[in-house]
Formats: sequence, C-alpha cells, structure tokens
Amino acid sequence: MINTIASGAGPTGDLRLEALNRRIAGRQILAGIDLAVAPGECLALLGPSGCGKTTILRLIAGLERPDGGRILLAGRDITALSPGRRQVAMVFQSYALYPHLSVERNLLLGMELRGVPRQRRQQEADRVLSMLQLESFRSRRPSELSGGQRQRVALARALLRRPQVFLLDEPMSNLDAQLREELRPQLRAILCGGEAPVVYVTHDQKEAMGIADRIAVLQNGRLQQCGTPQELYASPANLVVASFIGRPQINLLDRGDGSLLGIRPEHLQAVEEGGVAVRVLSREWHGASQQLTVASPHGDLRWITSGAEPINDQLRLGWQLQHEHRFDLDTGLRC
Amino acid sequence: MSLLLMAPALLLLLAVFLWPMLDYAWLSLQAQTVFTGLKPVPVGLANWERLLGDGRFWQDAAQTLRFAVVSVGLELLLGLAIALLLHQSWRGRGLVRSLSLLPWALPTTVMALGWRWILNDPNGPINGVMQSLGLPSLPFLASTQLAWLAVVLADTWKTTPFVALLLLAGLQMIPTDLYEAFALEGGRPWQGLRRITLPLLRPYVLIALIFRLAQALGVFDLVAVLTGGGPASSTETLALYAYLNAMRFLDFGYSATVMLGMFVLLLASALLLVLAQQRWRGARP
Repeated sequence: MINTIASGAGPTGDLRLEALNRRIAGRQILAGIDLAVAPGECLALLGPSGCGKTTILRLIAGLERPDGGRILLAGRDITALSPGRRQVAMVFQSYALYPHLSVERNLLLGMELRGVPRQRRQQEADRVLSMLQLESFRSRRPSELSGGQRQRVALARALLRRPQVFLLDEPMSNLDAQLREELRPQLRAILCGGEAPVVYVTHDQKEAMGIADRIAVLQNGRLQQCGTPQELYASPANLVVASFIGRPQINLLDRGDGSLLGIRPEHLQAVEEGGVAVRVLSREWHGASQQLTVASPHGDLRWITSGAEPINDQLRLGWQLQHEHRFDLDTGLRC
Repeated sequence: MSLLLMAPALLLLLAVFLWPMLDYAWLSLQAQTVFTGLKPVPVGLANWERLLGDGRFWQDAAQTLRFAVVSVGLELLLGLAIALLLHQSWRGRGLVRSLSLLPWALPTTVMALGWRWILNDPNGPINGVMQSLGLPSLPFLASTQLAWLAVVLADTWKTTPFVALLLLAGLQMIPTDLYEAFALEGGRPWQGLRRITLPLLRPYVLIALIFRLAQALGVFDLVAVLTGGGPASSTETLALYAYLNAMRFLDFGYSATVMLGMFVLLLASALLLVLAQQRWRGARP
C-alpha cells in the first residue's frame, strides 16, 4: 500500500545533478556538484550548517535557480521549470503546515490546487491519514499537534503530491532525541524503496547513517565524498569525511613525515606490550560501552571500549594495521 | 493580595473612566443653561426625552456612521494594497516605507488646515488644476454633497499609513516557507494571496478595524477644523454636536446627554462587532 501511494506519478526515474553552481552576493555557495540518486534510493546530504546542503535541496525544488549546471529528473531537464511544475515534494524543517487550516484541509489544499476531482481528493486524504495514523487528528489545527504529529502531517502532504522526488530538509531537527530514533525506521519504511528518489538533508551523521543508502558529505559548497555509510566509514576520502563520520571522532596522530595517522576510537585496544603508553585523563561509563580520554606521547586520544572491561590508570594501547587511515597533512587527502 | 496589586490600575481606571461617566450621568439629569444661571437644576429625564426626538442627533449619528464605515473601509483596502507593495523587496523600499508614514505623523489640525487650502474654491491647487484643464472649479467644502467626501478623503490620507504599517507587520509575521510549500504544491501567487495571506492576516485586519472604527466614530478635530460640521450640518458628527451644545449653546446638561447617547451607540456597535467576530471565528474552515 505504501508503494501505491508513492507511485502513480507517471514515469519515475533517477535524479541527476550536473555541475551545479550557486553564488549568492559574490559568495560561492555550491561549486560543481555532481550527484545521482536512483529511484527508491535515499541519499543523505550531510555536512555542517552553511555547507550548502539545504541550497542543493532548494535548487532541486526550484525555490532557487542555479548559476550553472543542470538538474535532470527521469531524463527530463527541469532546471528552468517553476517549483509547481516539477512534481517535487518537500518536507520543510519547520514542516510549513498551513496554520489556519485543519490537518485534513492541509492535505486537501494541494490536490485542490492541482485539480484532482473532489471525490478522489477525499479518498486519497483518508488513505494517507489512516496510513500515518492521523485519523483522530484530522480536524485539529497544526498548533494543536505535537512535533511528531506535525512531521507526520508534513509527510502525508508530501506523499499526496505523488512526487517524482522526495526532498526532506532536516525533518527531525525539531524533535527530541528519543522520538528521532523511533521515527527513523518509520520514515525509511514510508519513503525509501518506493519509486521516487529521496534526498535527505541532515547535519547529524548518526541520522544520515541510519536512514540513507548513500551519504554525500559536503563542506564549503564542495562535495567531499559520496558513498554508502560503510564506504565512508571504512575509507574516508579525506580528513573532513573522516572526522564527520563516526562518533566519537577519529583520532589523528601526526607522524612527523607530512602525513596524519587516523585511528577510530573503537579500534584502539589495550595491549600487553608494543603500542603506546597512555595515562587515563577522564572516563565516561555508558553501560554497554565506556568512553575514555587518554594522554599519549602523540597527544590526547579518544578511546571507546566495552563497559565490562576494568581499565587501569596506566596502560598501553595498540591497534591493528588494517584499521589505520593515512592522510596527507597539506591536502587532507587519503594516501 | 491580588486585589491590592491591581488596586493602582483599578483606581486609575475609576478616576479617568467611571467617575466622569457617573458625573455625566448625573449632569444629564440636570438643566444647566444660561436660563438657569449656569447652575444645575434637576429636571428628571427631560434631556433624554429631548434626545430621542432630536432629529439633529440622529442625523449626526447616521453621518458619523457613514463617515466611519466609508473611510475605514477605504483605509483597509488602500492600506492592504500598500502593505503588500511594501512587503515586496525592491530598490528604495526603505525610503518609501519611512516617507509613507509622514501623513500619519502630522498633527490632525495641521493637516486639516492643509486640506482646507488644497480644497479651497477657487484658489486651491486642485481647483487650479481643474481650471487649467478647462473644467469648472468645484465647491468641495461648500457643497452638502461633496463636503463629507472631503472629510473622508482627508481622513483616509492621514490614517491609511497607520493601517498599512499594521498590516505590513502582519505580513512579515507570515513565514515564507508557507509560500514555498504552497508553490511546490502547484499554487500560483494570486492563489496564495487568497489561501494564505488573507486568512493569516485576519487578526491584524481585526485590530486595525477596531482601532480605526473607535477613532473614526469619535472623530472631532478633523471635522472641526476642515468644515466645522458644515455646510448645513452635513458633516457634523456626534462628538462635534456634543461640543457645540456645551461650548456654543452653553447647554451642559444636554451636552452630557448627547455624550452618553453616543457612548451607548458606540457600545452597541462594539458589541455587534465582537459578536460578528466570534461568529466569524466559530466558522472554522
């Protein structure tokens, strides 16, 4: 049933961004962005605020125009189309629900604008309302809903658009941490695996890894790396990606030969001999795991290990060669 | 304790509102004219009987209402148009926004004198332009048909900026992402005006309406300076009539009665407005 709602928008196909450029007031917001998203695939745009990820979303939606490059949807060049003619649905960070309309009217309005016959409008709205368990809220105003319910209404409105691509702009950022974890699989089940590509903007690497098939890491308007969560974790292309993916952050040790050695906190282990001698500076015990900061001759290291293991104040830490990442000190690139 | 904390405000209200009202109520039961040597003499309900049969009072009430409805209506329409224009971003908007407030910042007496000159027959600039175009000059302030329109014109000119500013503030409270979501759903800009802007502007329209109606129904200074209520009382308002009774006819008891009569009419229209608003709100879309 989920798929029958997301589909039916005519031919769907992949979304391609080709050499997208965007300048605002002389500042380069995006530089040469190339990305492709397959039907049913969920691509997360991940990066710190101001990296250009939301701009990409707005360019796909047509709310802004690129200064260079093309946007192709199912093989059709949509770069010059107005937002209303793109068959694109967006879930805004604020949800952008119409505050003066009931939940039901919020959902009906778009279909009315698109000229869907009255009877069909009601059927479709009823179907989506029941699918997202919103039936009992249909006559409430958005201000009378909780954050999670508002998000579901925004999602319902996006589904009713029957779009050729779903865009989500930090849809979880207004929700509390527990709700976020609960909703992630739901969101994935509803959106991903349908026939439309999904582009999901977030600054939370955990959320990106949890929801996306592939992640594109951005910084300063440039694409740093695009790949599956596993790829980004196992072989980050540069220092930016290495420090953005994985929590706690990767440890970077200066080798003194113009390169940095990266070791993830979870790959350090206590050893009898060899490795480096360290002294524990601080401990956080999380039950299943514990997180420590230790002083080493190469600087302070983050270390995460099993919560069951007793740790002395003085010990030696080592790691396996396969877990080493090397980066060029000047370019930051993996070497 | 709470009563103690509210006491200063309550006392102030009593002093400036209730006490004068009671004083007027007492005065409306007295005759205090030149014939009584300007001393109050109890006459029972005589003033009130006179009020009910006073054609001039009821005519002034109708004229006040006509002025208020027409000028406030015009101000809302023009104010909305100007607010929508100023809400768009274009070069020089900031300057125009400040300049457009000037009429509102002028003291009413000053601007009323100004309009008296502008509308002067035949020496004012408007009639000057008409004459140079070969048209006859019009007696704006001397014609019973035109004079009330001149008052409406001057009032609209002065208070439209206030309405525009209030509605502009309302427009700026509407999040832009609503319009973006609307556009993505296939909505056109003019549909957005009807579906989003106007409904969300409603509270601001109501505030403007209440402020402006209260002011317009009590209008005094503009009319006093621009037309003096003439010609032939055709622009006279209730506030002006009450003033004339006290200050020209030296009939203080009846002046107080006119004032209270006006108060009752205003209260009734305010109640009607509130009821209409509640019904409006009750009908949720």
